[in-house]
Amino acid sequence: MTARAVKKKKSSTAQTLPLMLIALPGLIYLLINNYLPMFGVFLAFKDYSYARGIFGSKWNGLDNFEFLFRTKDAWIMTRNTILYNAAFIILGTVFAIFVAILIHEMGKKRRVKFYQASLMLPNLLSWVVVGFIVYAFLNADNGFINKTVYKALGWEPVSWYSKKEPWPFILTFVYLWKFVGTNSIIYVAGIAGMDREIFEAAQLDGASKVKQILHITVPMLKPTIITLTLMAVGRIFYSDFGLFYQVPANSGRLFAVTQTIDTYVYRGLMESNDVGMSAAAALYQSVVGFILVIGANALVRKIDKENALF
Amino acid sequence: MSKRIRFVSLVLALVLALSVCSFSVADGYDKVVFSYATFNNIPTNDVRVSIEEAINAITREKIGVEVELMPVSIWEYSSAVSRGLQGGDQIDVFQTLGDFNVAVSTDMAEDITDMIDTCAPETKEIIGQDWLNACSFKGRIFGIPTMKPIALTPMVVYRKDIADEIGLDFSNVNTPADLTELLRKVKEAHPEMTPVAAVNAGNIGLQLTVPNTDYLSDDYYTPKGVIMNDELTVIDFYATDAFKDVCSLARSWYLEDLVMKDAATTASTAAELMATGNYFCYIASYSYPEEDTAASISAQAGGYPLGAKIIGSAFLDTTAINALTWCVSTTSKVKESALKFLNLTFSDKEIINLLIYGLEGRDYVKKEDGTVNYPEGQDAATVPYTAQLSCGTMGNFFLMYPMEGTNPASLDWELEQNKTAKTSAAMGFTFDNSRVKSQYTAVANVISQYLPGLVCGSVDPEADIPEFLEALNDAGLPDIIAAKLEQLDAWAAANK
Repeated sequence: MTARAVKKKKSSTAQTLPLMLIALPGLIYLLINNYLPMFGVFLAFKDYSYARGIFGSKWNGLDNFEFLFRTKDAWIMTRNTILYNAAFIILGTVFAIFVAILIHEMGKKRRVKFYQASLMLPNLLSWVVVGFIVYAFLNADNGFINKTVYKALGWEPVSWYSKKEPWPFILTFVYLWKFVGTNSIIYVAGIAGMDREIFEAAQLDGASKVKQILHITVPMLKPTIITLTLMAVGRIFYSDFGLFYQVPANSGRLFAVTQTIDTYVYRGLMESNDVGMSAAAALYQSVVGFILVIGANALVRKIDKENALF
Repeated sequence: MSKRIRFVSLVLALVLALSVCSFSVADGYDKVVFSYATFNNIPTNDVRVSIEEAINAITREKIGVEVELMPVSIWEYSSAVSRGLQGGDQIDVFQTLGDFNVAVSTDMAEDITDMIDTCAPETKEIIGQDWLNACSFKGRIFGIPTMKPIALTPMVVYRKDIADEIGLDFSNVNTPADLTELLRKVKEAHPEMTPVAAVNAGNIGLQLTVPNTDYLSDDYYTPKGVIMNDELTVIDFYATDAFKDVCSLARSWYLEDLVMKDAATTASTAAELMATGNYFCYIASYSYPEEDTAASISAQAGGYPLGAKIIGSAFLDTTAINALTWCVSTTSKVKESALKFLNLTFSDKEIINLLIYGLEGRDYVKKEDGTVNYPEGQDAATVPYTAQLSCGTMGNFFLMYPMEGTNPASLDWELEQNKTAKTSAAMGFTFDNSRVKSQYTAVANVISQYLPGLVCGSVDPEADIPEFLEALNDAGLPDIIAAKLEQLDAWAAANK
């Protein structure tokens, strides 16, 4: 190694040291919060005994995983989890960008703040509250839809909580209603950071608003979209528990369209409180999530190397 | 540099302060951590310490033990204890809430067979061998059941004012089916009312009226393999005619608008629904006499005058007794002291009343007739300490001061029920589900999918029961039934 290279290396350490220090608290947090508990992964393969503790308990191979695949529910819940999440990722992104563009196009007027705040509001409500709002609409005896809308139209009232066909749409709608405002923030910021001159140039060349959006705004958002989508893909095997448990009011008739891995684990282990089996379920979700992230990233890298995460 | 030293000494001081907190050893006395579920407010630290001091004044002298209380809200109790024990926290005494068999099979509960004679002789006397057998597994005792009125009797609790107004006669109502005629009359006279309210989501109380059923260590709401009518053969509850009858009755009520439509998914409980004034009655099981039940519920149910009528018979099985069991933890380092303190909650009037009512004068006042109530102008929500709603879950109920307004004669009725209620042929048998755990979780899921709709009448039993049975088979119910039968046979052979 030449003296020059050594010097260069030294100075680069000196340069990055302050940055490392800034990152340190976050890294320590990550280590304590996300890495230390990984030792608990042992539990997934143990027949847990309180008297013997984590390391003293007996190994029991893959027995803890068995309950996940015991019934034909295994297929249903996996399908539901993935399809819903895929729909949420695609629709969520499309609507978030749409809303972000609308908000941006409205300029800096005061009422824009109001629109933005009202779009954000649902995100602050807990799922339990959202569950009750939905219940107020869909309740069979005196819900808004049955008592007001359907009555006015002269339609027969529907027993919503025991009819499964509409639920994929209801759940997607509720999801979008709750998250679109928040998800759009990052895109609003992205659009605001774009160079105005590009748009002005396009305008001079006679590009319409729609053309500008399609050919300037969206392509420039691409890196953001890819990063956020990759992050979402990593969690594709996790479902939003509140959405799938609280909103359909835990109705058994709807399980075919509302059962996801998280609700299945919750319902199954509510009674037995079994540590090993919950660890097994979490491990299964993480491993599949990990494979999907790696896979999705590999795909992105193949198509467009610059935008891959790693 | 001086800054750095100051920082280091600050850190050291903090560490010291923390270690002082965690290693404070009571002088010469064993410290026992007593964790219990409370339905009332969690007391503040100061208040908790004041109760501990009053208790310690007694326990230091009597058993050489100091106690630390760990009240936990009922809703998070089981998971808090489970997490605490895993994390190595000191919890010496805990209770099971319907999951005694799990506490045994996962080694949470210590085998106390060899300690009970020396550390808790009074309790052994009070509880009696029969009930201790219900908390035993393979001949070893793992816990002590709460001493209280245990026999649950199915009742219909109804609005007395409405019944009187229409002139309904409940004296001939002895089964749920007898109710149908009266419910129709209510619907006719008050079309705006829904005659039957749900007890809670997915339960309108009907399945508990099926007589002579031992659920063999499962809870009442999700039976999986039961024995019925004293025959020691394990059967699928959902394949029985009794279950079909329950579903058909529920279905006919549903179709005639006699029961609330959203019973399978409601988020409200019976008392809340009754308080709205829109419901006429509900069916649930209680361990108190008819009048007491009606009177005690009235206050929570909007103050309407209520009546109650027994529509089934009390039945005692192992689960009825060991549903609320007190255990010494396997991780405890002071097991004997823990059991000695547990003994006092069953045998010492002062201790149990301190735990339930707190300090006399501050938290409650005693009346001349021996009953107690909250101090003038205070109630359960405003006194510094009370665990009054836990009275049926802790120690010895019959040693607690009665609340003002309860009828002393009721206690006799309750003791009588405990003694005379019909007892299961498998009394004392506890099922160990550790070999069929994954079947259990899968079956639990199937049950939560089908059962609420069926017992609440919102689906057609003709079409859905066969589908339900098939799903149960797929999920592994036959394995559970076979495992139960095998263990039951072994138990029967050992207990002949």
